[in-house]
Amino acid sequence: MTASSPIARNLRDWRLRGLAGALGLVALTFVVPPLNLTRDGVSILAVVDITGSMNVRDYVNPDGQPASRIETAKTVLRDLLARLPCGSRLALGLFTERRPFLLFAPIETCSGFAPIDGALAALDWRMAWEGDSRISAGLFRSIDLAAELGTDLVFITDGQEAPPLPSSGGPRFDGRPGAVRGLIVGAGASGLSPIPRYNDRGRETGFYGPGDVQQQNRFGPPPADAESRDGYNPRNAPFGAAAATGTEHLSSVREPYLRALGRETGLAYAPLAGPAGLASALAAEATPRPVPGRFDPRPVLGAMALLLLLATFLSALLRARGFPTWKKA
Amino acid sequence: MTDALVRLSADHPLLLWLLPLALLPLLASAQRATPVASIAAGPPDGLSRAVGVVVRLGGILALAGLILALSGPYRRGETLTRTGIGAQVSILIDRSGSMNETFAGRQPSGAEESKAAASRRLLAAFVGSRTHDQFAVTAFSTAPMLVVPMTDRHDAVRAAIAAIDRPGLDYTNIARGLAMGLSQFAAASPSTSRALLLVSDGAAVIDPRVQETLRAAFTRLRPNLYWLFLRTKGSPSISDRPQGEDTPQAAPERHLDLFFKSLRTPYRAFEAEGAEAVADAITQIERLERDPIPYTEQRPRRDLAGFAYGMALIGLLILVLAKLGEADLRRTGSSDAAPNRSLPVRLAA
Repeated sequence: MTASSPIARNLRDWRLRGLAGALGLVALTFVVPPLNLTRDGVSILAVVDITGSMNVRDYVNPDGQPASRIETAKTVLRDLLARLPCGSRLALGLFTERRPFLLFAPIETCSGFAPIDGALAALDWRMAWEGDSRISAGLFRSIDLAAELGTDLVFITDGQEAPPLPSSGGPRFDGRPGAVRGLIVGAGASGLSPIPRYNDRGRETGFYGPGDVQQQNRFGPPPADAESRDGYNPRNAPFGAAAATGTEHLSSVREPYLRALGRETGLAYAPLAGPAGLASALAAEATPRPVPGRFDPRPVLGAMALLLLLATFLSALLRARGFPTWKKA
Repeated sequence: MTDALVRLSADHPLLLWLLPLALLPLLASAQRATPVASIAAGPPDGLSRAVGVVVRLGGILALAGLILALSGPYRRGETLTRTGIGAQVSILIDRSGSMNETFAGRQPSGAEESKAAASRRLLAAFVGSRTHDQFAVTAFSTAPMLVVPMTDRHDAVRAAIAAIDRPGLDYTNIARGLAMGLSQFAAASPSTSRALLLVSDGAAVIDPRVQETLRAAFTRLRPNLYWLFLRTKGSPSISDRPQGEDTPQAAPERHLDLFFKSLRTPYRAFEAEGAEAVADAITQIERLERDPIPYTEQRPRRDLAGFAYGMALIGLLILVLAKLGEADLRRTGSSDAAPNRSLPVRLAA
């Protein structure tokens, strides 16, 4: 009796093959290097409107408390920051008056997570340097800024122009639509809500009333229907004699206006609906930027080895049922 | 030791519920079953029994190792606090419109550099020249703007400084800027050296009421105060007394300097009339700020899956060897008590 014959018989046993296969797979985990692959990261400039209407509390935070638009925007951006794959880059800007103010140039979102998160948490309407809110001008300049930085744009605003646009409409976009991709994010609910008012020491003192804001833009030429207005006089009352009335002291998200701006500039529109919304909307719109990623093949190999091993043992268990003798071996 | 155990963790802890499967080798064996009439026919054999135990243990080891490995075990990283040489520097930058002019007070043309561009270039070199410095950046014009909170991520700080030569805003409201710049020194050990670096090209009147608040904050935090005054050629110097009435309104720079001097914190003003002077001032500040600072070092998490795969490898090796060395009782005619294993062959395999 030579030793080779039982080995040859053993080699024919499928359970040996199973075990040997598992052994081979596990051995492979020590030699197969992590695979390098590229993932889609993003590079964005986030510009947050910090004008007065962003203080309107028409959102509800998870605790059920009313939350202002700017607080919600901060929450959404911080959530987005945590979801971006490593290697993505984020720049942050503020918008008020008629232009964006760049706080910092793009920072890598994983290594720079803490400072970016801190900067987002510190965003406040008190950073505003002037009270106007000329959205379209700010948006167009933000697009230029994003082009200069080589990033996509996420522009968060409620779309309320203050002062209101003249009847002739706002400024025209003279760039190439779609040259900068990105999102216009509409903040606010569709219903009108009062705008909180603050005193010069930053304390809230109530809400804006109808007489506190400009209800109609009366600079420039009068609208076409002015002649039919009550008390119209071409020299003395070109806008009619009646005081302008309106709801400019209340605020809602101006979605049609923002959508129109989006069409004009080639940006997509997304509502600032819930903390989950922005990541998927951005993924659909942003230019994918390859960032290096790694794929660890070990779990795949290990899982296959485990299945082989379990199959070997379980089949033995099932078969062993016919041979109770061996249960005690 | 307990600390090391506490830091063990797994990516997919739910997979650990599969661990009872590792007891499967106690119920079943991968070896072939050979019927014998009576197990008592063979004499008890210690070695065979030991081989049996080893093979079962090998099975348990292989299954447990694989399940552990799949759960992605790791030892959590930790944050160590060490002491290095450096300082907490809160940089307060004037972003008023005049910063975009040259030191000669003109719009920059050709090779000329604006004050903002010069300070951007020189501050960027300052940040990161020492590993353990921590920086915060605050910008101010009409309102102060927190740009980057106190951080040791120098890339982020440089990205913030890279933004300072963009077009500036309106006015210089220095009081609110100082307040926010000071608020950047949050919780830190009292021994940490703190420096507030104000970069501005002008000054403004500080409201007497705000002066008291600022004074209190300066007394509490005791930062070293550096004022890098980027003086436009021909404009009054810090030390110039105005002709006529000597009021803060007439000579805001001089009175801001006097206010700083009255704070009883270490204070130095650097009056720079060009990029070289700015560079000199920054070198001096760097030399002055040499104190021990506690800094945190992140020890990365350690992947332990390799060990688990090693366990599985050893277990599988035992199983495969046992399988290779298997011999049938009837064919070999061996009188071994554990008839499904033939020891000599197993050892030879």
